[in-house]
Amino acid sequence: FLFHKWNLLCVVTMCRAVPINDLIYRASQQSDKLHALSTMLTQELGSEVFPIDRVHACHTSSLQTPTDKEQALQVSESDLLSLARSLLQAWSDPLVVLSSSTNVLPYSAQSTLSKTIQKMQEHSKDLKDGLDILSSKMGPAAQTITSLPFIETNEIGQDKITKLLSCFRRDSHKIDSFLKVLRCRAANMQPQMC
Amino acid sequence: MMTKVGEVLLLLLLPAFVPHTDGTRYSLPGKPTEIKCRSPEKETFTCWWKPGSDGGLPTTYALYYRKEGSDVVHECPDYHTAGKNSCFFNKNDTVIWVSYNITVVATNALGKTYSDPVDIDVVYIVKPHPPEKLEVTVMKDQGWPFLRVSWEPPRKADTRSGWITLIYELRVKLEEEESEWENHVAGQQKMFNIFSLRSGGTYLIQVRCKPDHGFWSEWSSTSYVKVPECKTSKKCLFSGKSDEVFSALVVSDFPPTTSNYEDLLVEYLEVYVPEQQELMVDEGKDHDGCLKSIGSASDSDSGRGSCDSDNLLMDKSGAAKEEQQQQNQEGDQIGTETQGPKEAWEKETMLCANEDVVSPDASSKKVKTWPSVFSPVTPYSPSPLDPHNSLEMHKQNCLSDTQFPPGSPSSDHCIKKALQSSYWEVCFNNNQPYPQTDVHQQLQAHSDRNISAINDGNVPSNLLLPTRMTEYVEVQRLNEENKVLLHPIPSGHSREKACSWVGHRDNYSKVKGVNSDNVLLLQRDVVEEESMEMAGAAESCYTSSIAINTPKPTTCSHIALPVQEERVLAVSGYVDTATMFSLDT
Repeated sequence: FLFHKWNLLCVVTMCRAVPINDLIYRASQQSDKLHALSTMLTQELGSEVFPIDRVHACHTSSLQTPTDKEQALQVSESDLLSLARSLLQAWSDPLVVLSSSTNVLPYSAQSTLSKTIQKMQEHSKDLKDGLDILSSKMGPAAQTITSLPFIETNEIGQDKITKLLSCFRRDSHKIDSFLKVLRCRAANMQPQMC
Repeated sequence: MMTKVGEVLLLLLLPAFVPHTDGTRYSLPGKPTEIKCRSPEKETFTCWWKPGSDGGLPTTYALYYRKEGSDVVHECPDYHTAGKNSCFFNKNDTVIWVSYNITVVATNALGKTYSDPVDIDVVYIVKPHPPEKLEVTVMKDQGWPFLRVSWEPPRKADTRSGWITLIYELRVKLEEEESEWENHVAGQQKMFNIFSLRSGGTYLIQVRCKPDHGFWSEWSSTSYVKVPECKTSKKCLFSGKSDEVFSALVVSDFPPTTSNYEDLLVEYLEVYVPEQQELMVDEGKDHDGCLKSIGSASDSDSGRGSCDSDNLLMDKSGAAKEEQQQQNQEGDQIGTETQGPKEAWEKETMLCANEDVVSPDASSKKVKTWPSVFSPVTPYSPSPLDPHNSLEMHKQNCLSDTQFPPGSPSSDHCIKKALQSSYWEVCFNNNQPYPQTDVHQQLQAHSDRNISAINDGNVPSNLLLPTRMTEYVEVQRLNEENKVLLHPIPSGHSREKACSWVGHRDNYSKVKGVNSDNVLLLQRDVVEEESMEMAGAAESCYTSSIAINTPKPTTCSHIALPVQEERVLAVSGYVDTATMFSLDT
C-alpha cells in the first residue's frame, strides 16, 4: 500500500521516481541528523569522558578533504558525493565495534552510547542507500569510493572510544557539509532548499 | 637584546617604586581564563580571554597556537581587530576540520603564567551575526490585519552556496508591561506572518538565526509596528478574552439549545472561519446542508474571519483564533535543522492532540468544529510557554497504539493527521466537488519544508486549530434543516474527548472494502448514527470515503477525504481513520 524507498514513491499501485533534488534534500536531512546525534553524544557523555576537540589521527585522515570554504566550493559535485560516500563507508565497521564496546564506559554512559550508536547506524545505513542511488545518477566520479580501512575488530578501550567518537563527529560533519553544498548546487529551481 | 636590557632596567627600578610601608606585594600575573572562540561565518574566527589579576604590574598577553598534527607554535596574527584581550584569525589563517590548540600567556615583570590550553575546531564554534534588514509591515487580509515580517541573513554568512545553513527564530511581543515574548521558529524561510493581533497595539519584533550545528546569534535590533484600530462597529474581536468569546457564542440569534442530550452524539466542533465563510450553520447557503470548511485560495494563514462580517460564527471563531500565529505562506514552522522527516512529522499538528497544545489554564478554551478532523494539517505550533512539553503531551494523548503493518517504522509514533491538502467534508447528501491540492507534493521527503507553499490555494491550508482561546462546543442536535446546533460547554470539559472524530470515540474504523471507484469504505463500529442522519439519508452504513484521487459523492452520509498518498492499512483490517499520514524514515 505504502512504499517509500529512496528512488520510488508508491501509493497503492502508482509509483513514481523521486527527482534528484528531493534525493539530495533527503540525504542532507539524514546527514544532518547523523551529525546531530554525534554532537549530542559528545555533549552528553561530557568532557571528562572524552576531550572532544582533541582530534588526532583518525582512520579517515588519509582522505584529502577541503580545509576552507574556497577549496570546498571548488570541489565538483561528483567529488563531493564521492567524499561523502567514502567517509560514510569508512564508518560502517567502526560503528559496529563501538556498539559492542560500550561496557568499558562508566555505567551511566553505556545506555546512552548504545542507543545513540544504534540510531547512528540506522541513519548511516539509510543515508548510504540514498547516496548509492544518487551517485548512480551522477556519473563515474561519484561512484568512486576511497577505501579507508578500520583495523580494530575487537573491543576497544575507553580512550579509543573517545577518539573514535571525536573522529566520527568530525567526519559526520564533513559528510553533512558536502551534502549541503551539493544540495544548494542542485537547487537552482528551488531556492528555498538552500 | 633590547628587551633584556629593558627588563633589567625595570628590575632595577622596581625597588624605587615599591612603597616601603604599605606591604603591597607584586606577583606573577593571574592565569588567563575563559578562552572562548567564535566564528561568524566558518571562514574566520576570534578568540577572547579573560585576564587574571595583573599581579600589580603591567601585564601583557599573548596567544599561541598549534595546529593539529603539527608541533609548530604560532603566535596570534592579529590582536587588534577584535578588541581588547582578543585574537583574530582571518581567512588565511583559518582552516576547518583541523583542531587548534590554543594557549594564552600573561606576562609581567615577574614572569609568565599560562592559561589552560583549549582545543577548538572552527566548524563547531559558529555563531553568526544577527539577521539583517528586518522589516515588518501591517497587511490586511479580508479586513483582518496581520504582520508580515521579513529579513535577510547576516551579510557575511554565505547561505547561497550552502556553506552555511541558517534557521531563524523570531519573537514578538506587545509593547506593554507584563507582556511576554512569543517565539516562533521560522525554519529556513525569511518571512513570517503573524496573526491575531490586537487592534491598535504596538508590537516589538526581533529575529535571530542559528547555523545547523552552531550557536544562536544575538537577537536583531527591534522593529516596532503599530496595528491600526479596527474600524468596524461590530464586535471586532481581536483580543479574545474568554468572556468575550463566550459572550460571542451566547448570542440571541443563535439557535436555541435543546435538552435532548441523551440521544445526541456529543461532538466537538471547532468553529473555524476562513475567509469566504463556508461554515453554514446559520445560513444554509448553497451547499445543501453540507457543513464544510473550505479555505479560500489565498488564505494560508491562521484563523481569521472578516472584520466586516455579519456572520456570528465568524466573529466567534475570529475570537477563537486569537493566538494562532503560526501558519504563513511559506509555512515551515517545524523547520529545525536537525530534523529528518520523521521528526518533522512528529511535530506537526496532530489532530487529536491539538487540544493539548492549549495551555491548561482556565482561559484557554476551544471552539471546535465537527468533525475535528477539519482542523489539522498545520505544522504544530508549540505553545509559547513550553513547546517541548506540549509535544510530549501530544504524544501521550494521541493514539499510540494503532495497528500498523509490521514493517511500519512509525508504529511507535503518534498517528498524524492529514496535511493541509486533506480536509474533511461532512455532507448530508450528495456533495459538491471540492477542491484538492496536488497531494503528490506532500510526500516529498523534505517534509519539514515549506508546507504551505505547496498549497496551491484550493485547499484550506488554513484550517488551523487555535492554540488558545477556543472552547468546546457541544453538538446538540441536528435540526430539520440539517444544521448543527451548537452549545457551549463548560470549559473544564475533558480535553481528551476532543480527540473524537466524527462520532468515533474509538478512532478505529474497520475497512469495509474498496469500491469500484477506489474509494475506501470504512465501517463504523461505534454507532452513533443519529448525528449522521441528515438530509434524511437513510443509509445505515456510515462510510468514509477515502478517494485516491477524486472524491466521489455517495448517497451515504459520508466523510470524503481527498487522498493522502501514504495510507496505512492495518493488518487487522482496521484503519485508523484519524490517520492520514504515517511516515517512514
